Amino acid sequence: MKKTLSLSLLLSSLLYSDSELSEIKERLQQQDIKIQALEKVAQERSSVNQSASFSQNAYLPDMALILNMSAVSRDVKNSEYETYSIPGFIQTGDAAIPFNKERGFNLNYAEFAIRSSVDPYFEVFANFHLHPNEFEIGEAFVQTRALPYALFLKAGKFKSSFGRINSKHQHSWNFDMQPVIYEALFGPDAISDPGVQLQYLFPTDTYIMAGVEAMQGSNERSFGDTEENNLYIGYLKSSVDITDEFSFLGGLSIAHGKNTTANTTDVYGADITLRQQLDSYSSLVLQAEYLDRNKDLGDTTDKQAGLYAELVYKVNKNYSAGVRYDAITKNETNLSPDIDCDNLQRYGAMLEYKPFEFSRLRLQYSYDQTKIINGERRDINEVILSLNIAAGAHGAHSY
Amino acid sequence: MKSFLLIMLLASLGFASVKVEATYASLGAIAKKVGGDLVSVHVLASSQYDPHFIVPKPSLLSKLRRADLLIINGGGLELGWLPPLMRSANNGKIQVGAEGFLDISHFVAMIDKPNSVSRAFGDIHAEGNPHYILDPYNVLIIAKAVAQKLSQLDSQNMQTYKKNLANFTREWHIYLKDLDKNMLTCKDKKVIQYHELFNYFLKRYGIKSYATIEPLPGISPSSKHTLKLINLMREQKIDMILQDVYHEKKTAHFIASKTDAKVKIIPHDVGAAKGSETLEDFYNMIAQRICH
Repeated sequence: MKKTLSLSLLLSSLLYSDSELSEIKERLQQQDIKIQALEKVAQERSSVNQSASFSQNAYLPDMALILNMSAVSRDVKNSEYETYSIPGFIQTGDAAIPFNKERGFNLNYAEFAIRSSVDPYFEVFANFHLHPNEFEIGEAFVQTRALPYALFLKAGKFKSSFGRINSKHQHSWNFDMQPVIYEALFGPDAISDPGVQLQYLFPTDTYIMAGVEAMQGSNERSFGDTEENNLYIGYLKSSVDITDEFSFLGGLSIAHGKNTTANTTDVYGADITLRQQLDSYSSLVLQAEYLDRNKDLGDTTDKQAGLYAELVYKVNKNYSAGVRYDAITKNETNLSPDIDCDNLQRYGAMLEYKPFEFSRLRLQYSYDQTKIINGERRDINEVILSLNIAAGAHGAHSY
Repeated sequence: MKSFLLIMLLASLGFASVKVEATYASLGAIAKKVGGDLVSVHVLASSQYDPHFIVPKPSLLSKLRRADLLIINGGGLELGWLPPLMRSANNGKIQVGAEGFLDISHFVAMIDKPNSVSRAFGDIHAEGNPHYILDPYNVLIIAKAVAQKLSQLDSQNMQTYKKNLANFTREWHIYLKDLDKNMLTCKDKKVIQYHELFNYFLKRYGIKSYATIEPLPGISPSSKHTLKLINLMREQKIDMILQDVYHEKKTAHFIASKTDAKVKIIPHDVGAAKGSETLEDFYNMIAQRICH
């Protein structure tokens, strides 16, 4: 403004004679004084505090609403489905089915997720999980921001970093169904407990991370002795970029705890994730986990294992497709002699459409051969159309 | 043993270097100019990819874990991938608010600030257009900010950083003079672009961008919007489509076939297109491809 003004005055001055020049010079100086005065006022105004007294709006945490709902079709009646058992793992009537339970429409959950830094030292995350008739603190923990020696500490209620899928929230899974082996060993919430977590990142070029956790051990499927904190978890994870586009992530985990008979349960886990990035929006990801449990029951020991493997092809920003295979591979326990308990498997496939990053429609089909209903093996066909949205300030997901 | 320790000590002093992680290649290139031999620079995101969507690979954690300084673009560009990495890198030195964290967007005047902010308008950035690296004049501002930060972190080498900055600034002014001269012939060109990626460059050199191929930021093209674009281009006689390296190119070529416009592949970052590996080559390539 000032520049153009002076420039135009200067230019026009060339057109005038010398006698008029002094007059123009004087006017120019007056203009300069006026401009300076105006600038001063503007500057003063902009530096004045204009926020409301005591307002703390700027400190509001990041908050997001996550909604998950579905339409389900299944060739088993609801009243029969809720009694299902998985031989060797889940007794009739013990199955907890929080998601996609009813044929027809389900509102699975509304989740309120909050993240904020507390101060220079801590960050807090909480996730309030709301079912239609239930309030649950899914997670609520503080974590450190600035511990020395590449250490990281987390305390509160959180999902354990055991294995690969355990720490992930349902809305960030590639399939809406939980892997059978996770459901069988831990139930729908997987290993999620009050406790503390300590992780260390090695100072190597290759990613190597070791972590230990002490937890209460309230998960009754595998643990459940909560007289004191009875669950200890350890894991080692490593990742290598084989090319710029192809990366490998692998992990070994162990969970050592006390079960409801006050004897020990050990669960060993091995996981791999292979990812080929095809372009910015397209990738091929193979993820597989194997879990093996020794559950000492005093007189006998249950020795069981199972795995899942899923392959997801992200076609572009909008479309993905995937297949998953689940199996119980070892089941040395007291099985009912009348029922054939071999070949406990499930096959799944999904097709996903994301209009935008924060909304997702997913159509899934599964053929489930792991369930017993009314005392006999029952193969279940299931189709789920789910809608998931994340609205508000929802942070990016980790790898 | 003693002499061995002494050698080790001398060696460590001799190679004392500030480990810098930059989120994008152009920031890394500028940091290298200012830091010279005193810094080692690594870039987190490959410039082949959409800068908004970088895969937060665990291998990046090993880099961040050992960094003394993290330089980010800011303005929301890294929002979709960097925060979870920073949380898991277990490095207090580079967290937001720490001394080793530098958000360049705090130094740059951002354009295209939206009047109202809602995700109903797509993936908009409340802080303004974050692709400010496309303005070659911003290189000077970035270099200055990096030099200040390095002087603060590694104060014993302050004079060297000052000297490097002065040298680079001088070189860059000469370079800009040349670039400006070359761009004079390009004034008043009319273009459309895939995403509002090149606005800073276009604004700097008086080139008008009429529309984007994506209907809203971050939303894939629709046939309805594409038809509208074709009509607009015919009416306004727009004959150039600026296409980045990472989006699909089908739509641009389709529009070109209906309008006789030319599709130009423009790098959005240092190294995004072959032959744009240095800062000078990067801006030269943009200038050359838009002007000729």
